[in-house]
Amino acid sequence: MIHSSAQSKKIRRQLPATIAIGAGIASFLVVAAILAPFVAPYDALKMAAGPRLSAPSGNHLFGTDDFGRDLFSRVLIGARLSLGIGIVAVISGLVAGGLLGLFAAFGGRHVEAVLLRLIDVLYSFPDTLVALILVAFLGPGIENATVAITISLIPFYARVTYGLAVRERAKPYVEAARLAGIRSARLVRVHIMPNIGHSLISMATLGFSSAILSAAGLSFLGLGVQPPSPEWGAILASGRNYITKAPWILIFPGLAIFVTVLSFNLIGDGLRDLFDHRRKTP
Amino acid sequence: MLSIGKSKFRPFVTIILAFVLGVSAAANLTASELTVARPFDADTLDPQRAAATYSLQITNLMFDTLLTMDNDGSIHPGLATDWTMADDGKAYSFTLREGVKCHDGSIFDAGAAKASLDRALDPTTLNPNRTVWGPITGTAVDGNKLKVSFSERYGPFTSFLTSMQAVFLCPSSFSAGKFKPIGTGPFKLANWTRNDSIQLEANADYRNLNPLVTNPGRPHLDKLTFKVIPEAVARMAALRSGEADMVEPSLQEANDLKGDGDFKVYASDLSGQQMFASFTWKIKPLDNTDIRRAIGMALNREAYAAIAFEGLVKSSSCPVAPNLFATDQALCSAWGERYDPEGSKTILAASGYTPDKPLKVKLVVYKGEGWDRLHEIMQQDLAAVGVQAEIETWDVAAFYGHIADVNARTDGPPAILTMGMSGVDPDYLYFLWKRPGASNLGLNAELDEMLEEQRKLSGEARAEKIHDIHKYLLTNAYAVPLISPGWGWLMASSSKVHDFRMGFMVSLLFNDVTVSE
Amino acid sequence: MLHLVFRKTVLALVTVFVVIVLSGTLIHLVPGDPITAMMAHSMTVPPEAMASMRSRLGLDLPVWQQVGLYAWRVLHGDLGTTIRGNEPVLNLLMQRLPNTLLLAVSGLAVALLIGIPSGFLAAVYRGRATDNVIAVVAVFGVSVPAFWTGLIMIQIFALKLGWLPVAGSGWRNLILPSLTLGLTYCALVARMTRSALLEVLGEDYIRTARARGLREHQILFVHALRPALISIVTVIGLLFAYLLGGQVIVESVFSWNGIGRLAVQAMLARDYPMIQGFIVVFATSVVVVSSSVDVLYSYLDPRIRTR
Repeated sequence: MIHSSAQSKKIRRQLPATIAIGAGIASFLVVAAILAPFVAPYDALKMAAGPRLSAPSGNHLFGTDDFGRDLFSRVLIGARLSLGIGIVAVISGLVAGGLLGLFAAFGGRHVEAVLLRLIDVLYSFPDTLVALILVAFLGPGIENATVAITISLIPFYARVTYGLAVRERAKPYVEAARLAGIRSARLVRVHIMPNIGHSLISMATLGFSSAILSAAGLSFLGLGVQPPSPEWGAILASGRNYITKAPWILIFPGLAIFVTVLSFNLIGDGLRDLFDHRRKTP
Repeated sequence: MLSIGKSKFRPFVTIILAFVLGVSAAANLTASELTVARPFDADTLDPQRAAATYSLQITNLMFDTLLTMDNDGSIHPGLATDWTMADDGKAYSFTLREGVKCHDGSIFDAGAAKASLDRALDPTTLNPNRTVWGPITGTAVDGNKLKVSFSERYGPFTSFLTSMQAVFLCPSSFSAGKFKPIGTGPFKLANWTRNDSIQLEANADYRNLNPLVTNPGRPHLDKLTFKVIPEAVARMAALRSGEADMVEPSLQEANDLKGDGDFKVYASDLSGQQMFASFTWKIKPLDNTDIRRAIGMALNREAYAAIAFEGLVKSSSCPVAPNLFATDQALCSAWGERYDPEGSKTILAASGYTPDKPLKVKLVVYKGEGWDRLHEIMQQDLAAVGVQAEIETWDVAAFYGHIADVNARTDGPPAILTMGMSGVDPDYLYFLWKRPGASNLGLNAELDEMLEEQRKLSGEARAEKIHDIHKYLLTNAYAVPLISPGWGWLMASSSKVHDFRMGFMVSLLFNDVTVSE
Repeated sequence: MLHLVFRKTVLALVTVFVVIVLSGTLIHLVPGDPITAMMAHSMTVPPEAMASMRSRLGLDLPVWQQVGLYAWRVLHGDLGTTIRGNEPVLNLLMQRLPNTLLLAVSGLAVALLIGIPSGFLAAVYRGRATDNVIAVVAVFGVSVPAFWTGLIMIQIFALKLGWLPVAGSGWRNLILPSLTLGLTYCALVARMTRSALLEVLGEDYIRTARARGLREHQILFVHALRPALISIVTVIGLLFAYLLGGQVIVESVFSWNGIGRLAVQAMLARDYPMIQGFIVVFATSVVVVSSSVDVLYSYLDPRIRTR
């Protein structure tokens, strides 16, 4: 599957395609998010822009919600909020969680033993409960929600990083480096990080959808992002009882999340395969 | 071959035939069962530890009250057939009904009543409704009479005795270490799987005391099951599929059910519930009565009722629930503010607040079905007149702690708060507004005095005093009434369910209920 | 081996203890307490009464003392009684733990049954249409909220078709929530399987096998699959531990009587003994699962020994 050089060339030509598609969609989304206030046909917050709960039509591309607000405008404006939360949470979570995971892997026997179990427990905690506790502490609002979501992502990234680091650690070159007297910190920075970096990137994209869905989970409880913010998770939460009467309230933000996650995933996967391929092929 | 012709045997045979027919008829009758789905389980089945409506709705089916209340607010006998009050209002005597049996067969008499009341008042019981019993100093038994003494006159006592919080327990409930719900009510507990289902069975010995019920004896239903289905959509599916006979419907679909011949919708008109907004009047500029009134004028309560609550509630003008004693919506409308966004804008502009340079406030709330939507519309209403309200939704526990802080402050961002309150008597204004008040809502000495006074009066005099209180709260815009009811007031069932009704404080009455095939 | 198990056990106990103390402290510091939580809609408890109730419940003690007292009792096996209903916490949790376990196992089974073959195919046909389609479908699984999938399933299978019940925790009720969970998490499993298999297939010994002329079929199933599966054992274990935490949203949608819902309700009510009891039981389960997985993993793959 991977070995004939003809096939390698074909794959090499295909890899940039996934990245290209992914990057393309992602850029489109980012641009749309930035331009949203100028492009949106209606004010995302204005009630009675159209009849209540009307299905998608020429006037209202995505239909209207129960206050008569235009859903298309809301999803568009919401892009900034959701992309913001997602990106901030993922990057911060990845950095903090990654450091924690690396520390667990290279911090010594005892550190590893205790930290690992702790990370496992934290990781398995029901998301809703973690977010609830954190938001109860911090108070409502989008910034605090982002902090809460970031913290809830840390154990996941820590565990993943730890797993990857441990696999690297077992490789002969690490043994050799240690024998040569290279200290852990340098070892991690110079050797381990680059090798696990691409896997981390592909895991990072999974965290994005998790972040948005956490935001929705918080909105179920009324916490986190406050009305009338059209953050995608909040729109999903508000549309929950309309599944039979006005399914478009659930479908379109859901589609938006799907497309966003897909594009980031494609980029992540493509990057990972690219590095992997370059590493493996002589 | 039985020869029925012989006159000697005829009566004997008739009896046997009647017996056989009767037995086979009974065998053909299937047990009458009803399944009700609610979003939450009861926290506890101990009525002296329960604060939540979802708990009290169940305990109300297993226990009875000393007195009962009719539609018009008049007080009637319950477990007590008769009662007297001393002239100074500091002593009551209740004559207990004879021969009342508890679910486990024990007798409920004056001694039992005293034991139950003592437990309700005992600080170790941790009864959240302890203070609503009033300033009781002692209880005593005299033959078949229960005597209760007070340190001062407490007018609302008899109304309180009709409410769900004041049910009486059989001593066998709490004589052993672990609490068991044993009462005198129409249903008894068969099984309770926490967070899943509560199964009740009819109490065969039941004799009805409640004027809101027509069935004089045991309920027609044999089994009554309460299931927990947290999601509204799932409850509606259960109703439509027949998995549940009665559910608490989603606001969004309740109107569809109303128009559908296969279903019935019930809305409580005796809820005693009220939703209102209050202000942090200690923080500028909300210390200015005109500004508070202007904010009240900006609120389109009809829209809240029609849109946020899908027309299933009514807007409210008085600071207490519509069906309570001395509540006069017409008078209250005159004292409170009418929806007048233009007038509101003018007043706010005079103080320098316009939609371009708005007054920034926080709208501090907690989440509830329909309430979130009310707050969003409220936010728009306020924006239209020059008030920028930032919504802050807290979870219930944090909410009350937070508003206690916010109400006590004299600086920081001004806030508008919304909350709900329910009761059977307007005396609950005392708990809300007498300093320090619920979560520091308390106002001043003038109002305190009026609140104290109304407890000591009765009849016309009391009604007048209560009107004074309403007038004070409304003309000074310390409270802006919003809508009534606000929570748990709506039920829906299949059309096979008959004669269900809701009582005071959204209690559920199943005594008359029958289920057709 | 025995030595390893012993060490793991001690470690597990230490971890659970640390979690109890840390989480207990955090929870007690969160604004609001069980008394204020009772205020909703019936604000009839005056401040003095509230203070006295708090005092009776030991809530006016300094946080460190409350947490310390609790930890002490837990060490003696006493998880206390709930504040709301005065019922033994351990009983309440044990009533529900089997339900959560059952759902976790079924959900995991579905996720593995769908995920592993998909990931396998995606790796084998890497770069081609199959891989891309599976990637897209996997993303779908991850980005569609579980409550949406769940509610749709109820509408279709319970309401329109009438095949399955809407609410409850019996055997027939298990089908829809397991499917929902499985569909949500099969994406993760597929991804992991795919990368694990690709990783293995890139190893030298596979190249050697190919060079030696072994058939692709044999290479895949005999030489590559096993190491790939072993390397995802940890992820599967983690996923199982995660499902054990109780999927609050799935439990709510399907009225499944599990510990997740219980925990959230207890937190909203600030019922400290109940939340802390949940954490004890939950942390213990997770530690047991992940320790077992670690032991299993080092047993299966001698190259990796967690020190």
